[in-house]
Amino acid sequence: MRGILFAVLGGACITLQGVANSRISQDIGTWQTATITQLTGFVVSFLLMIFIWDGKWQRFKKVKPLYLTGGSLGAIIIFSNVTAIQRIGVTLTISALLIAQLSITILIENKGWFGTAKQKMRLPQFIGIGMMITGVVILGF
Amino acid sequence: MILGLLWALIAGSLISLQNIFNSKVSERAGNWATTTLVLGMGFLASLTIGLLFEGIDMFSLQNMKPWYWFSGIIGVGVVTCLMQGIRLLGPTYAISIVLTSQLGFALLWDSLGWLGLAKVPFTLKQLMGVLVIVGGIFVFKLGGRRGENRVFSKIT
Repeated sequence: MRGILFAVLGGACITLQGVANSRISQDIGTWQTATITQLTGFVVSFLLMIFIWDGKWQRFKKVKPLYLTGGSLGAIIIFSNVTAIQRIGVTLTISALLIAQLSITILIENKGWFGTAKQKMRLPQFIGIGMMITGVVILGF
Repeated sequence: MILGLLWALIAGSLISLQNIFNSKVSERAGNWATTTLVLGMGFLASLTIGLLFEGIDMFSLQNMKPWYWFSGIIGVGVVTCLMQGIRLLGPTYAISIVLTSQLGFALLWDSLGWLGLAKVPFTLKQLMGVLVIVGGIFVFKLGGRRGENRVFSKIT
């Protein structure tokens, strides 16, 4: 039960983040929003990292440099997400976003790109994505 | 409409790529060190792009309200909830519920129009659409693929 609560709350926070960013963008601009929210997030998670110390940050050295730069994509992610929400609303944005997210993930895993463990895409994944696209068509048209 | 969808697809694709990169980092460095790095990088990238496009206007924040400073902490809540959810439920169920919850709250938000966003009225069509998508998520997730216990590899 507690697990379900955390999962629901996690999903709520992801959506809330997009909505809050869209709201803040209206007042101060999108790049400003991306800059400020990630700065405060950075400061708090830095403090948590020091406090909890779950990882050993020296180990960053053992990670391929390309993978360390993934965070910089956050700038474009926030910009795209905010722009989409302002144009087509939250529901349609999240729906389309999830379709792209799941599709690209299985594409990458299917090819084993970026050192991912290669896995074959199975029928349920095709059906699942198909249903999600159907849902977006119902929502949008 | 199409343009809005296109932006959402760009965001989703990049999130997928970012999650894969982040999972590679968190395998070694742990969830919090990874989150710190990811947000720090995102901050630098946003600042750089903003300065390129808007120059010194980047720093004119007249309409800033106090809560704007704190909204970035939501991201920390996301990581915490996902870590606990995955620990308690395992990745497959936890992430299916996270994705469903994302959509459910999106629908709620649209129909309430909170925070000054345009209100999208709640209709039967919308409910149908979201239910079909949620069905798709569960078929996708429960349709048997390997699971891991890293937060970042399983956000997707």
